[in-house]
Amino acid sequence: MRTITKKPEVLAPAGTLEKLKVAIHYGADAVYIGGNAYGLRSRAGNFTFDEMREGVRFANERGAKVYVAANMVAHEGDTKGAGDYFRTLRDIGIHAVIVSDPALIEICATEAPGLPIHLSTQASATNYETLNFWKEEGLERVVLAREVSMEEIREMKRNTDIEIETFIHGAMCISYSGRCVLSNHMSHRDANRGGCSQSCRWKYDLFEMDLPGNRKSLLGGDPEEDFSMSAVDMSMIRHIPDLVEAGVDSLKIEGRMKSIHYVSTVASVYRQAIDAYCADPDNYEFNQAWEDELWKVAQRELATGFYYGIPDENQQLFGKKRKIPAYTFIGQVLDYDPETEIATIEQRNNFGVGDEIEFYGPDYTHLNQTIEEMWDEEGNPIDRAPHPLMIVKMRVKHPVKRMDMMRKRK
Amino acid sequence: MVEIIATAESVEQAKSLIAAGVDILYIGEKRFGLRLPASFSYEEIKEITDFAHKEQKQVRIAVNAIMHNEHLQDVVPYLQFLQEIGVDAVVVGDPGVVHLMKKNDIAIPFVYDAQTLVTNSTQINFWAKRGATAAVLARELTKPELEEIAEKSNVPVEILVYGATCIHQSKRPLVKNYFGFVGAEEDTGKDRGLFISEPKNKDTHYSIYEDEHGTHIFATNDVNLMTVLGELKEMGIAQWKLDGIFVKGETFVKIAELFVKAKEALTENRWTDALRDELQEQLVQLHPQERGLDKGFYVKNPTDIQ
Repeated sequence: MRTITKKPEVLAPAGTLEKLKVAIHYGADAVYIGGNAYGLRSRAGNFTFDEMREGVRFANERGAKVYVAANMVAHEGDTKGAGDYFRTLRDIGIHAVIVSDPALIEICATEAPGLPIHLSTQASATNYETLNFWKEEGLERVVLAREVSMEEIREMKRNTDIEIETFIHGAMCISYSGRCVLSNHMSHRDANRGGCSQSCRWKYDLFEMDLPGNRKSLLGGDPEEDFSMSAVDMSMIRHIPDLVEAGVDSLKIEGRMKSIHYVSTVASVYRQAIDAYCADPDNYEFNQAWEDELWKVAQRELATGFYYGIPDENQQLFGKKRKIPAYTFIGQVLDYDPETEIATIEQRNNFGVGDEIEFYGPDYTHLNQTIEEMWDEEGNPIDRAPHPLMIVKMRVKHPVKRMDMMRKRK
Repeated sequence: MVEIIATAESVEQAKSLIAAGVDILYIGEKRFGLRLPASFSYEEIKEITDFAHKEQKQVRIAVNAIMHNEHLQDVVPYLQFLQEIGVDAVVVGDPGVVHLMKKNDIAIPFVYDAQTLVTNSTQINFWAKRGATAAVLARELTKPELEEIAEKSNVPVEILVYGATCIHQSKRPLVKNYFGFVGAEEDTGKDRGLFISEPKNKDTHYSIYEDEHGTHIFATNDVNLMTVLGELKEMGIAQWKLDGIFVKGETFVKIAELFVKAKEALTENRWTDALRDELQEQLVQLHPQERGLDKGFYVKNPTDIQ
């Protein structure tokens, strides 16, 4: 029986140390995080050096990797201190940095030798000679532009041997990454330095104009639809065989701002699918339950981006939206006592007696039950758990484990 | 020495621009060049290059597309052709092209132009070390930033002093997709003259069109740095580009003449406030009415942009 030993890496986002641990616990081979500088997600929750140390230790113990995004397009003065920063990352044991600005690439390469560099998608690498250029510059990996098709990836693999990472799940820039400054012009927020105001998702008028003030709007539809550039999200869950066979080295999940509910669910689904395919590619069958699982945390409609052609109007957010996500994250298991069959839960959203809930864990277990009895920390019976992060004890019908998650349908 | 760089829409206009005193023509062919007023054939590129050289002027060719695999085979013979006819430089934004030129021993000087990404001198010097002879600055730079970049860059930097500036390039046909959704069939090309306006700022008018490289959106106002040319010269920013993508024919040539006059006056120490204001007024008269003009990010404060 054929098996695939060189599996692609599942690379998950981790906005916080907690998310890092959850992502790895739920099957990610690697996570990417942000530091306090040089990144693109000023609001994503960024790591201090101490948190990085703990994250790296946690990852190393589990054979996982931690990458740090430093992918801003720098303005004069922004690169100050970058050499020290990269050296510190290297000495902490960060496995690679994700960089787009050649200024930061050069600083990293000269001042922190030994720290592997990955080219960020922000640099929009779209052809194999670009990949060869960066290979000769000493980079370890290139994160491809999202505009590259599956066929183009196959051709790249025939013409270069630098590692290739591609996005497989999550929200997408509508532009070639890095080549959009709508936000700079419309909101004074620098899209390439972490300030993107997502102007592409706004509603615009679209018109002709021969003289000032003499506008002829071209908006149409019934009811009238505004012009927008907003894209649906990406999901490649149905195409794992193509990605593996094309030889992609790392499969990236978008979303450093996303919750542990999202990260755990998405990482675990792709873990399942990739393991299933690589164990027995010739008898692999797509499991609809994986996609259903992704829909529990989806935030928009899902499509395949540029992998199989130029996206048409069905890959953009027009018209009436489906109500998503379908599930709410309500708690995380802190402890479970098999003697009493009582779980200790940290509340994340309001829940109470009578609610139909679902527990899920990293080995892709799903347990459904109705909440019948619960108590507060002091052991007083309660009906609802209304307070954020309150500790609740609950009788459960099946054994659960620490770091299992609890959700309910909306 | 200040050099005026201008786009051209035809062989005839290219010749008029040279006659008007433009130093460098910026032209190309649509498959490999981005957002050009016109796409020229090989013969036309040769004719323009020969003409410019006869007049002691230069030609730069736009090879600044974001290249996909399919471009790679054909871009090499194109570059070889450009080398053969002796163009003065190619304008490149994709590292793959830099790599291909090296691999194929194509020794045309290249100007680095990755549009929105060219925002600091360390980056410019990175490309200078790899052969770039100049760099085109992003338009999202303020005056203090420009001063510092000009001072620290090891190669000359080019700035847009007049014309439309692209602020978004998507590979998706965004306008066609919209019309597809509402069930309309419309021309979405450059000559259609489409605009979009922001929901909270209805007076804005961002030009938008599609071509084989995707969808392009331009700033609501075109750039005009006529009144600060003296400052630019002082900073040592001496490559001034005029982009005529939305300004046609003789009008664009007349606008180029104004900048040539300004350059000459500055070079000969004849630049006065009166002349500056006169040229500015003539420019405003010539500029297409439906398009606005402003100084863009030049007049913004670096700390205003977060």
